[in-house]
Amino acid sequence: MDTVNNSENNSLKYESLKRNFNLFKQSKIGVLGLVIVAFFGLLALLQPFLFLTNIWDEATYHPVVGYDSQKIQATVVSCKDIDYPTPEYKTPNDCPGPEEVNIVAVAPYNPGIQEGDVIEQFIQPAPPSSKHILGTDSLGRDVFSQLMEGSQVAFVLGLLSAIVGVGISTLLGTIAAYFGGAIDAYLMRQSDLVLMLPTLPLLFIISAFAELQVWHLALVLGIFGGLGGSVITIKSQALQVKVKPFVDSARITGGSRMKILISHILPNVAPLALLYMVFSVTGAIASESILSFLGLLNIDMSWGLMISVAQADGYINQGMEYWWLVLPAGLAVTLLAGGFYLVGRGLDDVFNPRLRKR
Amino acid sequence: MLRYIVNRFIQMVVVFFLFLIISYLLFDAIPGNAFQNLLLNPSLPPYAYEETIALYGLDQPLSVRLQKYIVNFFKGDLGYSYIQFPKTAIELIAERLPRTLMLFSVVNILAFYTGFFVGKILAWRRGSKSETWITITSVFSYTVFYPWFALLMLWFFGLRMGWVPIGKFLTPSKWYDSPFDSDVVFLEMIKYMVIFSVLYFVITLLTKEIESLNLRRNIRLGSFFALLFISNFYWNTGQLSEMRFYAGDIAYHTILPVLTVTIVAFAGTALLTRTTMMEVLKDDYILTARAKGLSQKRIRDRHAARTALLPVVTSFIFTIVTIIDGSVLTETIFSWPGMGQLILESVLREDIPVAMASFSFIGVFALIAHFLADVSYAFLDPRIRIKSQG
Amino acid sequence: MSKNLIEVRNLAKHFEISNSFFTGKKKIIKAVDEVSFNIKAGESLGLVGQSGCGKTTTARSLCLLEPKTSGSVNFFNPEKNIMESIDAIDEDGMRVFRRNMQMIFQDPYESLNPRWTIKDIIKEPLDIHNIGSLGEREEAIVEILRTVGLTPPENYLQRYPHEISGGQRQRVSIARTLIMKPKFVICDEPTSMLDVSIRISIMDLMLNLAKELDVSYLYITHDLAVARYMCNRIAVMFNGKLVEIAETEELLNNPIHPYTKRLISSIPIPDPGYKRERYEVNFDELDKIISSNPNEKMVDIGNEHLVATHDTKDFFIET
Ligand SMILES: Nc1ncnc2c1ncn2[C@@H]1O[C@H](COP(=O)(O)OP(=O)(O)O)[C@@H](O)[C@H]1O
Ligand SMILES: [Mg+2]
Repeated sequence: MDTVNNSENNSLKYESLKRNFNLFKQSKIGVLGLVIVAFFGLLALLQPFLFLTNIWDEATYHPVVGYDSQKIQATVVSCKDIDYPTPEYKTPNDCPGPEEVNIVAVAPYNPGIQEGDVIEQFIQPAPPSSKHILGTDSLGRDVFSQLMEGSQVAFVLGLLSAIVGVGISTLLGTIAAYFGGAIDAYLMRQSDLVLMLPTLPLLFIISAFAELQVWHLALVLGIFGGLGGSVITIKSQALQVKVKPFVDSARITGGSRMKILISHILPNVAPLALLYMVFSVTGAIASESILSFLGLLNIDMSWGLMISVAQADGYINQGMEYWWLVLPAGLAVTLLAGGFYLVGRGLDDVFNPRLRKR
Repeated sequence: MLRYIVNRFIQMVVVFFLFLIISYLLFDAIPGNAFQNLLLNPSLPPYAYEETIALYGLDQPLSVRLQKYIVNFFKGDLGYSYIQFPKTAIELIAERLPRTLMLFSVVNILAFYTGFFVGKILAWRRGSKSETWITITSVFSYTVFYPWFALLMLWFFGLRMGWVPIGKFLTPSKWYDSPFDSDVVFLEMIKYMVIFSVLYFVITLLTKEIESLNLRRNIRLGSFFALLFISNFYWNTGQLSEMRFYAGDIAYHTILPVLTVTIVAFAGTALLTRTTMMEVLKDDYILTARAKGLSQKRIRDRHAARTALLPVVTSFIFTIVTIIDGSVLTETIFSWPGMGQLILESVLREDIPVAMASFSFIGVFALIAHFLADVSYAFLDPRIRIKSQG
Repeated sequence: MSKNLIEVRNLAKHFEISNSFFTGKKKIIKAVDEVSFNIKAGESLGLVGQSGCGKTTTARSLCLLEPKTSGSVNFFNPEKNIMESIDAIDEDGMRVFRRNMQMIFQDPYESLNPRWTIKDIIKEPLDIHNIGSLGEREEAIVEILRTVGLTPPENYLQRYPHEISGGQRQRVSIARTLIMKPKFVICDEPTSMLDVSIRISIMDLMLNLAKELDVSYLYITHDLAVARYMCNRIAVMFNGKLVEIAETEELLNNPIHPYTKRLISSIPIPDPGYKRERYEVNFDELDKIISSNPNEKMVDIGNEHLVATHDTKDFFIET
């Protein structure tokens, strides 16, 4: 009897999930966001799969310690301090061109080399090829593999900090709304205090105490996000739920405060909290990237670090010539953060009016 | 109500007090101190370090230092910088703050106007193809990986196109024989901008009641150019005519940072405006306005946009608070020597007086903004004013 | 003569409003002002008055949803068989009070938790008071669903409130309210937000259940006709005060207070040939007179018919 009931229950839940998803599909931007998030999710999962199935061997493709070099036959040319444009090159930056090497760079290792000779050259960073679809970086590591690793980092950190943050702010916001008075005043001033602290300098200070690991950062971001402004938003939602007649019903029947808080108010604040969670993933991903860009995070590989390395080695200043070092990581941060944001927008557009109408 | 304000004010002071203590403890807990490099210098006698430490009072126990710091703080003495000794923390801030304020007030005004404008259009075109596309663009410009984007902008406009300088807020070679200090020029520029915006704001107020939207827009546009024209004369008077050259140099350097930050910052305002306006558009009185047959544009500009402005302005106030915080990255990338760099340096080099002063400066700003927001909500929301008796 | 279930004496509820934001000048709204009435076991009292006159506030302070400003409320504790003051009862007394007093709200869309199934909603009171075993609770739920006309009950147990209609929701509210067999139920305009076509069926259901389960209602409505249909006695409320209270037929046949007369004269009559005198009252005038007599008493003019005694000659402007 019981089992029958349960499966019926599950199928009902499945039905309602399906219905909600169909609703969500109405929002084009939400679906786009979901596609983006799913794409990066697949990227994150693909890398361990490739390693486990030995399609990729770690020595070549490992994002941190892998190494591969690409040999090309390069013609030795000489780039002199002469007036540009010359017949071959438009600007000084164009010399040496592709499959060419400046004689100044190779002469010390190849005594007696002449202009016009063809020599074998390792190129690092190597441009995209069929073996390394996004090329390699200046240390001969596969950029695509790094991108996948960065995706894992972004997901773990973004989701973890969002869950921690929203958990805290939901709990505190509901408590502030329901109990009011001194507790409320205290919690509000606490969030004032947290909002007063400048985020980035604060993270600098924290990174000075200890080498920040990814999950440390997730906790720190979660806690600060959770104590700050979102408490106020959740509180105002909880205030609206608090005066609903069904809460009054429970009070008249004699339900205890704790029980009402947990079983009536929390579940009705939860959808908004969920929405907040999706949005705060965006912020967490950005913070992580900025910190690792600034070298304040103890991490082997991440999107921010990839950009940081590209900048330190001067590739960004050469613009699109080394686009595979410059574009993928930056676009990845932008797209994944934006993807989560779009999902949040979509949820908000489709579900919030309904939530409010009720 | 007075009771509410007084009560809230007392809470504010307590929060600030706690903020000071927490910040001080944080800075103190950072391992090492600002003078440790003295130990590494072999040409200094070993007691040099101890003496310096004692000179700055760093040899005393934490509780004593904290107490002294707080007492001096409320006396208005924020101490000397450890790193740039003869300067006080306040002097350093006074030097850096105008630079940051100037850069970011321009950015914020631009971002606010464009953002509000775009958001207005988005909400109105709900469901159309262009709405989807503009929204998606705005979202990605909101979530763009900022340092990366700024570096690309620098590369493109500075290096590749060579249109704008790549960093610093002035060209040193032009300033060698300058009769002016750069800060004086800065202040003069800020003064000019304030006058300009106040005048334009007054014009906006005066034209508010003009019925014809086209006329109103044309008058505003016309007076904007008139103001620009008058500015020309303004910068030709007396000392300003000499200063003009240097001010121009600074303005030239602000172009790229302003452009970059605006692209990122406008999107936030646009997205917020879209949401709030969409809510307002559903309200009854907008439906009434539509039923009365008012033109779509008029409803958008007169009715919906005005109501939607409130939450957007509130959030705008809060963005101003985060300016200094947000300036850290921008100033680092564009080598703009403002507050952001000051905070970064002082934190990294443990110049505690300067770091504390900058933190408390941000703190006071934030507190005042929160206080104003709370009080104005209480003012606008009658529910806060009703008390149940019994 | 049966015993009293609820005795309300001089109940008052004031709200304080700061009129001006800056000077902090305060205005006191007397939403409920010195209201007294009794409700006998098995009898239903209708509380009638125009919207905003303080009916809901009376109900809410009565069941301790909001702290009252002054006055006393006594209720009959069936376990001890005595009247107890709700301000001075112990925990056990409070438990009995909570079990025996329930409320049905006006808005069927807001009075059921949207995240709960119908089954959980109806089960809540049993869970709070820990009544019966789990199996017994399930049986009781099925039973009460059948009683309120939601059949077959199995179709409703796992549904969510937004999946059923307004009338069905109100039936669920009634089921939730009555599952503990309380002695006293406050109904705050339970049908006013429903379609006219289903109002009467909900009212009939409530009447039948009252008889069946021996429940007394405090039935709040702005419609005298509804009160007449539902209640044995009617109390008429005007701007926070009771102005007249009597047995239903007595009140309708022999109204004394001009406000009552005004209400009666506006009940629509299905017979088109019948013309009743229209009766107009100047509300501002009435309000002035009532508020200038803060301490007046209601007098009994016989047949337990009580009327407010202010000097009414000024507005006996029968038209
Ligand atoms: N929480 C409150 N705060 C301030 N005034 C209130 C509150 N609740 C009710 N009132 C006022 O009390 C009066 C009576 O309201 P109410 O009891 O809801 O009337 P009714 O139910 O008869 O329509 C109204 O004037 C209303 O404005
Ligand atoms: Mg009411």
